[in-house]
Amino acid sequence: MMLARVADSLYWIGRYVERAEHLCRLSDIMLTATLDRTESATQIARIALAAVGDPEDAAKARNPYDAALALVLDREDPGSVANSLGRARENARQVRDQITTETWERLNLIHLRMNDPKAAQAFADGSQAFLHDTIADLHLFKGAADATMSHGEGWRFLLLGVYLERAQLIGALLEVCFGDRGRRAITDHSALTSLLRMSCALEPYLRVYTADMQPQYILEFLLLDEDFPRSVRFCTARIEEHLTSISRHVEASGITGPDRLAGRLRARLQYADFGEVQAGGSSAFLGAVLDECAAIHRQIYETFVAYSLEQRLPA
Amino acid sequence: MKLDVAATKAAELLLEASAPAQPYDEMRDAEGGVRPHYAELAARIETLSSDELAERQKTLERFFLLQGITFTVYGAESSTERIIPTDLLPRIISADEWKTIEAGLIQRLKALNMFLADIYSSQQILMDGVVPRDLVLKATSYRREMQNLYVPHQAYANVCGSDLIRQPNGAFAVLEDNLRVPSGVSYMLANREASKRVFPGTFRGAGVRPIDRYPDLLLTTLKSMAADWRPNPQVVVLTPGVYNSAYFEHAYLARLMGAPLVEGRDLVVHDNMVYMRTTTGLRRIDVIYRRVDDDFIDPLTFRRDSGLGSAGLFNAYRAGNVVICNAPGTGVADDKAVYAYVPEIIRYYLGEDAILPNIETYLCREPAQLSHVLANLDKLVVKAVGASGGYGMLVGPHSTKAQRDEFASALKADPGNYIAQPTIQLSTGPCLIDHTIEARHVDLRPFILSGEKIVVTPGALTRVALRKGSLVVNSSQGGGSKDTWVLSDRKDLQP
Repeated sequence: MMLARVADSLYWIGRYVERAEHLCRLSDIMLTATLDRTESATQIARIALAAVGDPEDAAKARNPYDAALALVLDREDPGSVANSLGRARENARQVRDQITTETWERLNLIHLRMNDPKAAQAFADGSQAFLHDTIADLHLFKGAADATMSHGEGWRFLLLGVYLERAQLIGALLEVCFGDRGRRAITDHSALTSLLRMSCALEPYLRVYTADMQPQYILEFLLLDEDFPRSVRFCTARIEEHLTSISRHVEASGITGPDRLAGRLRARLQYADFGEVQAGGSSAFLGAVLDECAAIHRQIYETFVAYSLEQRLPA
Repeated sequence: MKLDVAATKAAELLLEASAPAQPYDEMRDAEGGVRPHYAELAARIETLSSDELAERQKTLERFFLLQGITFTVYGAESSTERIIPTDLLPRIISADEWKTIEAGLIQRLKALNMFLADIYSSQQILMDGVVPRDLVLKATSYRREMQNLYVPHQAYANVCGSDLIRQPNGAFAVLEDNLRVPSGVSYMLANREASKRVFPGTFRGAGVRPIDRYPDLLLTTLKSMAADWRPNPQVVVLTPGVYNSAYFEHAYLARLMGAPLVEGRDLVVHDNMVYMRTTTGLRRIDVIYRRVDDDFIDPLTFRRDSGLGSAGLFNAYRAGNVVICNAPGTGVADDKAVYAYVPEIIRYYLGEDAILPNIETYLCREPAQLSHVLANLDKLVVKAVGASGGYGMLVGPHSTKAQRDEFASALKADPGNYIAQPTIQLSTGPCLIDHTIEARHVDLRPFILSGEKIVVTPGALTRVALRKGSLVVNSSQGGGSKDTWVLSDRKDLQP
């Protein structure tokens, strides 16, 4: 049992933190890849920008430094890393009594650095180091939450946000790269490596498939791998796990909780046949997965946060 | 984030007026010798270079920054966060002095609770003419809605934070009673945590009494207010929300008590029961520790435009299904004019003399006192009874002839609305200012809990005016705070 508003805040902390981490990583990869003057460099920049929902602006892709700076520190852009972290921290402040001091300190520290007047200078002096440190700090935040928070309802709402956001972000990235929207297929070795790096998957991929970079292997790995924490399948398994646990205590009868949707989505990925996915068009498959993630998000709201009082008042 | 409740601002402006007497110094006696209870600290400071002291000050500030104990300063381009100025060197109170303070505070709150119970029921004290009837019943903080409402243990003010000052003669006096929603207790606790980090050795040697039971005692106090037929009562902290300047404190107390921190929008009143919206449905609430002013707790009973409380809350309270702490209407007992009668109130209910004296106060409603005030406008501080936040007051020594004339006519027109007090000198204590130790003015805000019984936590918030010569301890005007050590006289516990 916890306040609905609090659960909502924890859920959004999870989402914002995950989003910030993903954006940092994409910016980092974009900057690193464009150091080499190759054709694939522009392609990587385009992928990164398209994956964060930026309309494919050729001019932006040709100036990756400014694009990365904007993604990370632009205060006007509500989706920038600085703003995402600002909101995560604002939410954390509203539920300060629900998260441990250790967890709060990590998030507060990241926020203070992002909002330091010297942040832009620090980014200019060493953008990769800046991004690397931010990602590392976000890992510390998640680690602190895992190690110090009680693994009860609040923690589960936090992780629910993390995994739902992650499933959607990786899903969107895969759709950009493997969707059939008439884009040029990615075959270049460095582009494929960068794609794996964007999902933090290079080293785990190498352990499974060795250095044999094949687009279909990458898609299969990021979509269906059972153990890799950034595969869509892994995320949906966690979403189902947390939702099942949270839903156990909902008193109202006759409510179909989001756990049913989550179970169905998990099963869809767990029992998927990769050959069939390819035959049916990976774009359609990814689209269906993303739609179901959005439906789960709506259902979480209807069940736990914005429920109607009439159903829940004592008789 | 401001450290103070608005009501204290008037008092602080009052203190700004210069006072002739040499202030009492907390650490050194008149001859410059170190007082015995400061010996340990003074010896330790001797051994530290100014750089080492500055280093410790940094450690302290970092602690506050990390904890998020900050307030936001809005600039042109972006907003930055600053910590509340905090001084490294603790203020120390000896065991004997504390005994007097503690006894005085308990006596005072006991009498004030009895006073509230009386004026909200049979009004015996008004019948006996000890306190003028119109003074109480016409006060804006008097809530007729509270009339004949049962309050367990007659504990109206469950949390009280009185402002004490030390006069030049060394005796503590009460400047103000804060019985509404006093704040600052989180700084008392956070200052202590920080001070243990920067002076662990001295701390151990000095023999300081612990204060960390405060959240536990607060919870016990709140639970003792619940109806006894409900086992394991659900206690919540009601906050106006994250934009309130004391939000950090609300979250801090909720966290340390393990009670949910709710906002008005989390509450639902149905059939005179109060519920909160949880992930698993509605859950009944028994006790609300509200950090929202009277006016805002229920738009149906009090201010209609308030979105901070919950509609129907007060009726649920009247029906006995929920307890609101502090009770609405306690403000009438810390009213500026009623303040002058507190020594009489104590004598009336307890038959005792006040252990902690008041600051001398002239009630302009009394013709004799009015003429004295009018004759000495240039020496006194005049305050409007109903006003707070430093408005409607005249600081005599700093005023112009025109201002005094204006006040003189206002006083004659409506004398009942004004009181006057002499200018007061605060005591001073050592503070670290730019790498050197200098004396600055300090006050003292201890916290008293009353439920089934009255408990004073052996510690306090010491507010300090960090600007040289200033008597303003308000955090928005260069004021800060420091840890307060109350020493133990238990020799058997010494290491």
